Amino acid sequence: MSEALDAMVAERAESIRMIRDSAAGIAPRGGDRKRVRALRFQPPGFDRGVWQQIGEQGWIGLHVPEEQGGAGLGLSEFCAIAEEMGAALASEPLVPGALSAALLAAAGAEAPLAKLLAGESYVVTAWQEAPGVLEAPGNEGAPRRFLPLAGGADAFLVPVREGGKLALYLQPAEGADLTLEKTQDGGFFGTLRPQGGERVLEDAAAVLEVALDEAALGTAAYLLGVMDQAFALTLDYLRTRQQFNRPIGSFQALQHRAADLKIQLALSRASVESAAALLDTPGAPQAMRRAAVSRAKARASEAAMLITRQAIQLHGGIGYTDEADIGLYLRKAMVMANQFGPAALHRRRFADEAREEEA
Amino acid sequence: MTDLNALSDADFRAEVRRFLEAEYPPGLRNPPHRLHMDEGRPWFEKLKARGWVAPGWPREHGGLGLDAAKQIALIEEYERHGVARLPDHGVIMLGPLLIRFGTEEQRQRFLPKILSGEHVWCQGYSEPGAGSDLASLRTEAVLEGDHYVVNGQKIWTTLATDANWIFCLVRTDKSGKKQEGISFLLIDMTSPGVTVRPIINLGLHDEFCEVFFDNVRVPRENLVGEPNKGWSMAKALLGFERIFLGSPRQSGYALGRLKLLAERMGVFDDPDFQDRYTRLRLDLADHKALYETFVAVLRRGETLGPDVSMLKLHQSELFQRITELMLEIAGENAGLLEPMEGNRDLHPAGQFIEARPTTIYGGSSEIQRGILAKNVLELPG
Repeated sequence: MSEALDAMVAERAESIRMIRDSAAGIAPRGGDRKRVRALRFQPPGFDRGVWQQIGEQGWIGLHVPEEQGGAGLGLSEFCAIAEEMGAALASEPLVPGALSAALLAAAGAEAPLAKLLAGESYVVTAWQEAPGVLEAPGNEGAPRRFLPLAGGADAFLVPVREGGKLALYLQPAEGADLTLEKTQDGGFFGTLRPQGGERVLEDAAAVLEVALDEAALGTAAYLLGVMDQAFALTLDYLRTRQQFNRPIGSFQALQHRAADLKIQLALSRASVESAAALLDTPGAPQAMRRAAVSRAKARASEAAMLITRQAIQLHGGIGYTDEADIGLYLRKAMVMANQFGPAALHRRRFADEAREEEA
Repeated sequence: MTDLNALSDADFRAEVRRFLEAEYPPGLRNPPHRLHMDEGRPWFEKLKARGWVAPGWPREHGGLGLDAAKQIALIEEYERHGVARLPDHGVIMLGPLLIRFGTEEQRQRFLPKILSGEHVWCQGYSEPGAGSDLASLRTEAVLEGDHYVVNGQKIWTTLATDANWIFCLVRTDKSGKKQEGISFLLIDMTSPGVTVRPIINLGLHDEFCEVFFDNVRVPRENLVGEPNKGWSMAKALLGFERIFLGSPRQSGYALGRLKLLAERMGVFDDPDFQDRYTRLRLDLADHKALYETFVAVLRRGETLGPDVSMLKLHQSELFQRITELMLEIAGENAGLLEPMEGNRDLHPAGQFIEARPTTIYGGSSEIQRGILAKNVLELPG
């Protein structure tokens, strides 16, 4: 029994390793930072060609059931891909795309789902009405804000409160009232004033709640990749940069700081991977799942900011230049740390859910 | 002209405020980044007309001759009003150095042109391989007849694109201890062989530059003090830099912005935020009290010791902590490139980035901690 279980765990780990390896072609760890720079501040902020490759690899629908055209894999696999994309600083909107895929799958909207999964379109879920939240009030007509890379959207999924339910409308991007703001990482946030569209689901409340949690976890995984790679670059710098006739990494003060950062990185990885494993466990209680997601996102948001900030400090003056790549990781962390709930929100949520779980 | 030193502190401050209210260009209050000279020129002209370009210089050299306490009061009033910092290396760094170590000929040649604005100076100290370890600098000046021939590269030269003169630490002797072969040289940036390349910083602003010297010929009379004694002269000026960088100005300004942001985000009713905000307020209040004790040292006419490193260290890290809390409460606004809602005062990402280099420049936090451990606490090693 236990041997069979071990074999299953080993098989799963091997499949996750293979998925990571497959990421290297599109999102090489350490990244094609020239590509990242070329896309910065140029609408839509990502590469449609690469988006299509991501679709062809099956990543957008990784967690969508096979019978709906997805790969039917778990959150552990999805987080592995998200982490690799973070390490590569890939701008393509995997997490927001997967969020929309989950909703379109629940709605049974076959045609738009197929196009999205193939990377032929980008559908943005326009759920957010205020900064720093993780719930969709669905106020009709209220501007939907902070829509990631919305300039590249082909359609929007807009939740709208109708009676006691949260209906879901699919609105084409063409003719939409959309404004864009630049973000620190070279991308864009959109603000949409929703108008009409086709109602594709009568009540999306429950599925949206789960999908937003999965997006929060995916974002934590992406941040894990960002901090991991920023830390690797910083260790290289500590080993090679010479001052006072020795590598600066030989100074104990800096060694201790690097050791502390390593602990935060290890905690983040453990948190994200254990949360993903829990979400992949059938029958895990909802409160436990929500608590695990919040634990991972709170950790990853804080650790990503800490590590990328310290990465700049440890690089010294060169770290404060735009031409040094280390700054790209800080900028990415600044944009994503608060997406799908800032750390403080997730700590509050953890406290609430964990209490419920104990009760 | 009234003797400003004879005024009471309150009267002096009132005098400064009247001047600022009447003459300071309103559009230049609290600019989001360091001003270029052409942007700050209208304010410079007002200072010039009033004879206030160089508050700390003795009157015989065209300064205001303010005592240390009045200079601090002046800085505080400027900060209160949101007065922008001009490219001021000539006034703050070079002028005092020439007054103390220069020849009479050098003083007459250079000081009036700093006051008139004809010469705009920048500072060439750091090099790509000599940052925290400044004394390892390698830009070389070799004496050939009546000229030094300079070759090498400087980096992090603030606003070098605005300057027409640069004062440099250069290597004139490679034989002895690294600190002992450094000289202080004044270089006309219009000389053949000088190239300036702006560096875009993390705020996407071109505040810093690289300056390259390729066989630049510099008349030997442009060397200040004795050859190979430049290191100790430059070091004599660092104390001032540390009290300047240790002033509560940046943190005080940032805390005000945090308050505005917190009101906008509606987090003031959150007890956790209240506690964290209050901690930062207390840090700032205590920092001001500590800062005052250093000002009192100057007021007594004494010189500052190495413990002034505490000020720069604590101020810069407090500034950073304030801006980190801004990002935490700003939600997705933390990732915006431009200010929120078109309001320059609500720009958490911008403030956060602006705070990043303060623990790197002017002696990094690591260097300052080393100074405290070795020179103040006298720990072994």
